[in-house]
Amino acid sequence: MTRPLKLAGQLVALAAVAGLLALLVWRLTHQQHAPKIGSSAPVFTLSRLTGPGSVDLASLRGKPVVLNFWASWCIPCKSEAKVLEQAWQRYRRQGVAFVGVDFHDVTGDARRFVAAHGLTFPMVEDGSGDVTSGRYGISQVPETYVVGRTGKIVVHIAGPITTPSFAGEFRRAVALALRS
Amino acid sequence: MIRAAAVVLVALALAAPAAACTPKTSLSYLEGQVMCPTCHTTLDQSDSDAARAIEAHIRIRIAQCWSAKQIEDELVANFGEGILAAPPHKGFDLLAWWLPLGGVIGGAALLALGVWRWSRTTRESSTSNSLLQAENLDPDLERRVDEALARLD
Repeated sequence: MTRPLKLAGQLVALAAVAGLLALLVWRLTHQQHAPKIGSSAPVFTLSRLTGPGSVDLASLRGKPVVLNFWASWCIPCKSEAKVLEQAWQRYRRQGVAFVGVDFHDVTGDARRFVAAHGLTFPMVEDGSGDVTSGRYGISQVPETYVVGRTGKIVVHIAGPITTPSFAGEFRRAVALALRS
Repeated sequence: MIRAAAVVLVALALAAPAAACTPKTSLSYLEGQVMCPTCHTTLDQSDSDAARAIEAHIRIRIAQCWSAKQIEDELVANFGEGILAAPPHKGFDLLAWWLPLGGVIGGAALLALGVWRWSRTTRESSTSNSLLQAENLDPDLERRVDEALARLD
């Protein structure tokens, strides 16, 4: 009676250790990193922030896409908003799509932000951060990805495009995406 | 006309405090229940911009007399379940509540079993020791014990 009990106890302990090890391995292998330049941009479908419906990134295949991740609580996003809107007005005629992804934000605050800054390009909300953190490995905003017509990432700008060096990189990346 | 307007104004001034409601929860309570989504600590341990924005939103809802549950539900709808510091009492998340309890109960049961087995082993060994000692009685003492027992008969 005691021997089977002891064996069962040992098996349970072994199973618990194996389970914890598996959890550790899973956690380590599933840590999200920013997708690499030249790789396919992770696709997503997210609800629109300022109206009904959703935006599906895959449906924009064939167009260069500027994906901007932002939040209303983000200070640099405020100064970046105006520059992004100007860029949208300039590049939309050339067939470039812009998508703003609002990240970890209160919906009301985000809508007020969009209205206050007069942003007119499509906005989607990612309150849970599943797309922003989970697929794009972003923890701080603003960040911008420029995606080519084929869906491959042309550039990843980890900061506001108002920064002089990033502004130049952004322009070059959009030009490159337009030629792709 | 002016008198009527004055009456309306006074009535409105008196009605305003009556309309103000009593807050049903506090920021300090919710700060411990809600996570900062970008820094993964509770709001009361975070000074990030995201945490401050959520705190400001909670303040507005408290002033509007929303209950803690209503505020938490709204935040969950906005940010997902991960915004709550404690997992909800339903579905798979129930495991987070019951597993530690199960672990404590299982541990206590194992401990009790161990103590019971140990006490039984000790008792058995002490009994067998006594028997062993009885078998090894000095013959002289054994004779005297027998004599004493005989006298008692």
